Amino acid sequence: MTATRAVPAPRRSAARAGSAFLSAHPRARLALLLSAPLFWLGVVYIVALVLLLVTAFWSVDSFTGEITTEFTLDNIVEVVTGSLYQTVTLRTIGVALAVTVIDVALALPIAFFMAKVATPRMQRVLLIMVLTPLWASYLVKAYAWRSVLSQDGILEWLVSPFGGHTPGYGLPATIITLSYLWLPYVILPIYAGLERVPDSLLEASGDLGGRTWPTLRLVVLPLALPAIIAGTIFSFSLSLGDYITVNIVGGTSQMLGNLVYTNVGAANNLPLAAAIALIPIVIIFGYLFLVRRTGALDNL
Amino acid sequence: MMRMRNARRGATVGLALASVALLTACGTSGGGGGGGGDNEAATELGETEGQISILAWPGYVEDGSNDPAVDWVTPFEEQTGCEVTTKTFGTSDEALNLMKTGEYDVVSASGDASLRLVAGGDVAPVNTDLLENYDGIYDFLKDQAWNTVDGVNYGVPHGYGANLLMYNTDVITEEPTSWDVVFDKSGDYAGKVTAYDSPIYIADAALYLMAHEPDLGIENPYALDEEQLAAAVDLLKQQRENIGEYWSDYLKEVQSFQTGDTVVGTSWQVIQNVLEGEGGKTAVTLPAEEGATGWSDTWMISSEAKNPNCAYAWLDYISSPEANAAATSYFGEAPSSDAACEFREDCEAYHAGDADYASQIWYWTTPIEDCVDGRTDVKCTDYAAWTSAWQEIKG
Amino acid sequence: MTEAQPAIRLTGLTKEFGAVTAVDHVDLEIAAGEFFSMLGPSGSGKTTVLRLIAGFEQPTDGTIELFGEEVTKRAPFDRDVNTVFQDYALFPHMSVLDNVAYGLRVRGLGKKERNERARRALASVRLEQMADRKPSQLSGGQRQRVALARATVVEPKVLLLDEPLGALDLKLREQMQVELKQIQRELGITFIFVTHDQEEALTLSDRIAVFNAGRIEQLGTPAELYERPVSRFVADFVGTSNLFGPEHSLALLEREGHHSVRPEKMTVSTAGQSGEGVRNAAGTVVEAIYLGSGVRLVVDLDAGPRVSVLEQNVRGRARDDEHGDRVVVSWHDDDVVAVDGAAVGPQNPTPTAAVGSVFPGISG
Repeated sequence: MTATRAVPAPRRSAARAGSAFLSAHPRARLALLLSAPLFWLGVVYIVALVLLLVTAFWSVDSFTGEITTEFTLDNIVEVVTGSLYQTVTLRTIGVALAVTVIDVALALPIAFFMAKVATPRMQRVLLIMVLTPLWASYLVKAYAWRSVLSQDGILEWLVSPFGGHTPGYGLPATIITLSYLWLPYVILPIYAGLERVPDSLLEASGDLGGRTWPTLRLVVLPLALPAIIAGTIFSFSLSLGDYITVNIVGGTSQMLGNLVYTNVGAANNLPLAAAIALIPIVIIFGYLFLVRRTGALDNL
Repeated sequence: MMRMRNARRGATVGLALASVALLTACGTSGGGGGGGGDNEAATELGETEGQISILAWPGYVEDGSNDPAVDWVTPFEEQTGCEVTTKTFGTSDEALNLMKTGEYDVVSASGDASLRLVAGGDVAPVNTDLLENYDGIYDFLKDQAWNTVDGVNYGVPHGYGANLLMYNTDVITEEPTSWDVVFDKSGDYAGKVTAYDSPIYIADAALYLMAHEPDLGIENPYALDEEQLAAAVDLLKQQRENIGEYWSDYLKEVQSFQTGDTVVGTSWQVIQNVLEGEGGKTAVTLPAEEGATGWSDTWMISSEAKNPNCAYAWLDYISSPEANAAATSYFGEAPSSDAACEFREDCEAYHAGDADYASQIWYWTTPIEDCVDGRTDVKCTDYAAWTSAWQEIKG
Repeated sequence: MTEAQPAIRLTGLTKEFGAVTAVDHVDLEIAAGEFFSMLGPSGSGKTTVLRLIAGFEQPTDGTIELFGEEVTKRAPFDRDVNTVFQDYALFPHMSVLDNVAYGLRVRGLGKKERNERARRALASVRLEQMADRKPSQLSGGQRQRVALARATVVEPKVLLLDEPLGALDLKLREQMQVELKQIQRELGITFIFVTHDQEEALTLSDRIAVFNAGRIEQLGTPAELYERPVSRFVADFVGTSNLFGPEHSLALLEREGHHSVRPEKMTVSTAGQSGEGVRNAAGTVVEAIYLGSGVRLVVDLDAGPRVSVLEQNVRGRARDDEHGDRVVVSWHDDDVVAVDGAAVGPQNPTPTAAVGSVFPGISG
């Protein structure tokens, strides 16, 4: 062979040396890659949670509003034993469950249609339609529902000829509005989950003699279950923490979020607010613990 | 904390004759957590510092950035050379927290915040002799419980208004003379009654009980002992059955009166003005039978003010008839002086200067353990107790 | 005998996807008990025909009969055919046993009976010890056998196999080919086998239909297809061929039209060969590729075309050609096959490629 023309060797530089080092040391590479996000997660998230937890064990001077950093269980005891907190907690869980059930019932057929029936073009159109409401402000949507559900709103106008009436402001209005607000968050994971189910599995079921219902029950639902649970985590936890919607359309009802809000704002009692805020956190952790085994957390 | 409170109580006993010096020595700043200033009123003014930082309710400090026609800050800057930076707050408690940072020179405090600011040592006494425009201010606004502690002035009045009874004139054709339409007779409008969503609204119930349940012995709706508070809470729980919704955002109130979701409840003059502007079928009244609660705001100076001379300049400026008229008119409340009414068309709507009308108003003030009606044989329920009571009422 | 009644009869079967005709008026009869292959490149329509028979797609036109009964409009679950999918389509959340028992379960069989029959089916593919595993814990070949057991346990009259061996490596594929043949013999049912691998099709099938651009290009036994391809497309797709256009045919073969000669029918020597019907052509070796069992020589003939010659690696083979050697290529007139010159390869690659991209489910 003839001598090949020399290709110049890559220039030596500090960056190159650094890259070479990282290429040879995967652990260093990982550490460098993860340190910034981990720092963020650690400081902003974990520390904030821990501070919340710690604050719950402090108390506040009622007149000056100064926080007293002496350890006390008073807030926790009050939150656990106070009938107000029990009532509101039960109401909040009830609302969150109702919203979740409604959302799953609505999201399943929509997501199934999007993932398995619609043409790719239709699929994109539907996806955009599902996502569009997310571009509008939360407040705008909540106030829109306030106007829809009003005594002289569209709903009243629509149903009054049939003897129906708008539910007015209250818990039903809250459940309707929250269901609307969180629906995209439930559709999307279920859609993604169903999308991952190969069409051939549905065909295989039909091929083996499975009609529509057995196919849905034995193949689609079990495979979509983790995605459904992932969706319920969104609707459930978002409902659990909400206080704005209930303020706008909830009439006189209040949820845990309102108690936290009043205690941070009006009452200026951060420790009690922290103690109340622990209720939804405990509930959500309990829920996550329950669903952990289903593999739903991989679908988030 | 206990030490401070005992000190205060001790000081309260021999209140009237105590001199300024004595009070500031054993008064509010000693044990309080937040205060750091010397808490002595200035005796003379120096050169202005060139800037000032103001913490205020929305609409109190307008420099034309929201509406070019609404600007009373620029003339102040031109007159005094004090560059204004503004921060607004949404609730009295937010104001309280922000003042503790020591970042602000002056604050517009409502009665349910002012006493707490004083107690926390966050604001300093104000020497009203240094304020040219102080003399013109209505006497019935001066030396009140929410701006004066133990004879020491902690600020200048800004403006005031009453929490009025608003009603839908289609539903309630005759002007009510009593708050009973939202209490004992609220069942007639079940589901369409509204109330202000704040613990301070307990005072409205207490005011009603003051007139209708004399046996309870309520002298001041902000000084309730356990038993009196319980009675007010019971009344509010009965009322809740008929409440459609509570309001704290005044636009929400405007809308629900417009749509007919609400037909009767507490309101502000400014809300009526908005509704009238949009052709609403509502009216407001101050029921003579019980009177009403209301607010009276006070400009106060931080105990850690970095620009005390500009702060005094601002207090004086905002008390001047023209500026006061502009600010109170924009917000929708009565001004602090007759002279201000020369610059406003609508003073009558707000009953400005009408001492009889004003005497029917029980201005918001923070409920504290030391009963503000002067009782010493019982402990009154404080704001924290009111807050938890309010949460319990709402359920 | 049911010989008179074909297992499958397709009449004028047509399937259009938008502007693309994936299957174009296919007529086909497949006898009961036959191992029938549909062979063709991607996009030739073979898989679509299979999916039409299974009922996953509805034809635009034409009819499908199953043992004389028209099933064109029936849903997949109402047709007595079963499919082995290219990706096996095993239910990932079920055990192997539950997968195999699925068809029996949806038919309402009791748990005991269906498990028993599923176990028997698993035993027939020698996987009884894997019954409790999940599909993800099996190797490719094992999944393949589970899919086979699942499809056969419901005793279909016709089994459709969509490139079932495509995902396996060579060794396993050869082994599975033998097994498939065995199973088909044991069950005695019709197998319709879709593949793009001509060697697989030749090995397994009783008859083969070569698909091109939605039509059947040629239908016949493996030997017929190989020895007597009717078109340049078949000659080229089934095995490799040296194709001579009209000009070269005239020069080298002294015949009119297109012709094909298989590489293994050609020999290479230094001096050429003589005899009745033997033709010689001189040329230069371009490449000699050692294949183990033989050597493939690429030779540029002086007369123009480039040909491929396959020499067996038999004992005594002494030649050791390399680039630039002068050689003579010889063949016999009897091994020259006249072919239809119309089409080579998928004539219209663009639309067929579009079928794949617009309808991801469809290939072949």
